[in-house]
Amino acid sequence: MQSKLSDIELIEQTLAGNQFAYADLVKRHQRFVFTLALRFAKGREDAEEIAQDCFVKAYRSLASFQGQSKFSTWLYSIVYTTAMTFLRKKRVDTHSIDDEGTFVQVENHESAYDTNNAENKSRSYYLNQAIEQLLPDDATIITLFYKGEQSLEEIAQTMGIETNTVKVKLFRARQRLKEKLERNLKHEVKELI
Amino acid sequence: MNTIEEKLWNYIDGTCTPAEQEAISRLIEEDELYKQKYTELLVLNQEFAGLELDEPSMAFTYNVMEAIRADQALAPLKSTINKKIILGIAAFFVLSILALLAITLSNVQISGNPFSVVNIKLPADLKLPAANAIFNSAFMKSFFVFDVILALFLTDSYLRRKKAAKEA
Repeated sequence: MQSKLSDIELIEQTLAGNQFAYADLVKRHQRFVFTLALRFAKGREDAEEIAQDCFVKAYRSLASFQGQSKFSTWLYSIVYTTAMTFLRKKRVDTHSIDDEGTFVQVENHESAYDTNNAENKSRSYYLNQAIEQLLPDDATIITLFYKGEQSLEEIAQTMGIETNTVKVKLFRARQRLKEKLERNLKHEVKELI
Repeated sequence: MNTIEEKLWNYIDGTCTPAEQEAISRLIEEDELYKQKYTELLVLNQEFAGLELDEPSMAFTYNVMEAIRADQALAPLKSTINKKIILGIAAFFVLSILALLAITLSNVQISGNPFSVVNIKLPADLKLPAANAIFNSAFMKSFFVFDVILALFLTDSYLRRKKAAKEA
């Protein structure tokens, strides 16, 4: 069972030498960190590796966390930087991360599958599928905004960009997600929306 | 210029000014297109908010804590060396130098001419080992070979660390 202490209290206990407190922090944030990593890695094994790496990095730098922002915002900025580094390394072997074609390949493969199984799949399935087809930056902004309880300012801090840029990127990401969702659901989306 | 959708998203997110908020609110009530778009975006917003988070493997927390323990075990030697030991060694050398300096100064004999050659005498009962016996040719050669090997080893480890840091 997870501790009911606040993030700051758990950090203080960790810094005092209680490793169980850090395990509680990991348990509390692992789902979101893993999901965020999955937006970049597109594979569970790689995503787990990124997420694990992030928690180890956060532990090493925990003493430097000054509490000026939320712990989650600080942690997500580590995830974002680590995941971007991971993508850059992968980029050598694959295509550009800005090349949407890389993800379209997955999309085309899945769309044939959809047509036959559309009726059996839930809305969340199609939504998750659509988000997987987005570029990592778009998927990250959507995830941070809707699931990370992050304000536009906090997302800007996490991604190291201006708040206004986040606003524009969020708008475009929603548009693209809507398009992907519509494409995946084809005629069904008209009934849902 | 903002599109209808952009305005409506700002309205839904609450990121527009109170004046804009009021204007858009009125448009939603009066304009059928705005009303339709607004309803559509509200549904989408709810859909997006319903996104599910993925779950890592059961052993994830355990793996993280194990990685942290392994990371701590691999901490560089310089961070695990007790500083007191370093300070103790430094104090020993400082005291030795100060003692030698005190002996030397106590034996300095300054004659009438302050610019004459300083006559330094070590205590008569102080027995120093014969330097010639220690610093013979074979000893010096081995010392230099050891120095060269040590320098190569240190350079190699420094370059390896630099390369690893660059790759990380």
